[in-house]
Amino acid sequence: MPDTIFGRDFSGSIPATLKELFESRGYTRYRMGKFEEYDLYAKNRSFITGSSILTFTDTDGRLMALKPDVTLSLIKNTVPGDALRKVYYAESVYRARDAASGFAEIPQAGLECIGELDLYSVCEVISLAAGSLGTINERYILDLSHMGLLSGVLEDLEAPQGLREELLRLAGEKNSHEARSLWLGGGGSARGFELFNKLMRLRAPLREGVEQAEAMGLGPRASAALAELRDISGVLGTDRGLWLDPSLLADPRYYNGVVMRGYLPGASSAVLSGGRYDGLMRRMKRGAGAMGFALYMDVISRLLPRKRGLDADVLVLHRGGGAAELEKYVEELTSSGLRVRVDRAKPEGLCFGRVVIFDGEGPRNG
Amino acid sequence: MDEMLNIALPKGRLGDRVYEIFERAGYACPELGDPGRRLVFEAKDSGVRYFFVKPSDVAIYVERGAADIGVAGKDILLEYRPEVYELLDLGVGRCRMCVCGRPGFIDDPSSVLRVATKFVRIARDYYAGLSRSIDIIHLNGSIELAPLLGLSDVIVDIVETGVTLRENGLAPLAEVCGISARLIANRVSCKFKYDAVTELTERLKNVLEDKG
Repeated sequence: MPDTIFGRDFSGSIPATLKELFESRGYTRYRMGKFEEYDLYAKNRSFITGSSILTFTDTDGRLMALKPDVTLSLIKNTVPGDALRKVYYAESVYRARDAASGFAEIPQAGLECIGELDLYSVCEVISLAAGSLGTINERYILDLSHMGLLSGVLEDLEAPQGLREELLRLAGEKNSHEARSLWLGGGGSARGFELFNKLMRLRAPLREGVEQAEAMGLGPRASAALAELRDISGVLGTDRGLWLDPSLLADPRYYNGVVMRGYLPGASSAVLSGGRYDGLMRRMKRGAGAMGFALYMDVISRLLPRKRGLDADVLVLHRGGGAAELEKYVEELTSSGLRVRVDRAKPEGLCFGRVVIFDGEGPRNG
Repeated sequence: MDEMLNIALPKGRLGDRVYEIFERAGYACPELGDPGRRLVFEAKDSGVRYFFVKPSDVAIYVERGAADIGVAGKDILLEYRPEVYELLDLGVGRCRMCVCGRPGFIDDPSSVLRVATKFVRIARDYYAGLSRSIDIIHLNGSIELAPLLGLSDVIVDIVETGVTLRENGLAPLAEVCGISARLIANRVSCKFKYDAVTELTERLKNVLEDKG
């Protein structure tokens, strides 16, 4: 199958560069069917963020869904063992992104590492996420954070329980002005807010960012989360396009550790999203950890220059002569490895290496 | 990648007021003195490019990355929830989102409340917060007519001076939230044009604080 990274159609295929990258770390390809029992998604509805699911009734009466996600099916089919399960995928998922847009086939590629994760495994996934972006554009940015960082600050400062979710949502929007009103209105101290605000606005290359956050004097819970990021930056060094953005958050019911989001110049939204989702594993009664990421290939494909190849090597314009002679001529060309199209006229919008006129006096260049 | 900051401002009076703030922050655009029929205005010295669009479209331009920065009303942000950063409250275009109806209207909790509005999501969220069952009637304009003609019990709409309400025999019954113009930014632009976006935000903030 041709490498389609320079084309636009990723459905069912994976760019060779990504495949090589994932396989270089021993990840094996996971292939999945198109259908899944709807029940799986009904139980984890909010994991498939903000999307509708296409359902149908199977011949035996079961309610089925066209898969809107890869991760849930993968976890469902995972039996935890001593060894890690390291897989990558390139699949289409089917969902409506929001109420206004219709259902769409969305090509996704990504990988998952499932099992008892250690520092090395976590760093490997981050490194592969950065490497994936790097295969597309060297000017990528991979933002990292930890689910326990900002929420740890709220716990350490004993922010009112009822306000925490809203404060974190506002932090995700970098909305200091409303967070301040909410915090102070809820009886929080101005000093406490300054710490929260400073951390949520922090943005720096990972190692530098960790040092800046450490200098803020965080409490024990936030410091524990920061320590994990410090360990990661210690392993991965400074030259991988990694940034610290504590305002980066994901659903706390599923994600619990490092979270990441990747960006490429020219894209209007993130092209990579992922993180550690032990919470989802627990919800699905799998006693292990897991981390992975997905690349939004539909967004990525829009960024790439379209390298249009030839639609056929030879266009034979059939202007006369017998079918048997023409068939013999085409056979000669195709047996020498050329792709040949026979037509009465040059088709609009198609590209050919050369044009041959066949009119009963033998073939000649057109 | 384009290193200029693309800024989407709302057309009309609000856009003019917002541009004044940008101008005072050092982002003046001399081309705007003679706009003619042009739609895009560049200020190369300041590193910005302005374009004026329908107020309700600003958030779309920013979310989709056609603009790095924009100014949108909080009503639009609450209603459409675009995935953007909300960096500043510019404090202009202040008004209130209110539940309005006939003065003295008493809500009967034993029946479903009929609510006419342009802002379906805001109305739904507000009443969900009160655990109140409602029947939403989505209208695109002349919302004040709805309770007058018995189409709805109340409306949820923006109230600036309250004159239109008064002239139609209506009054604000409850405030849903305050509305003002907000500085918003595309999330990817905030990564790749971080210094420029941060500097612009800080300069605008300083102008607003000086004013305050």
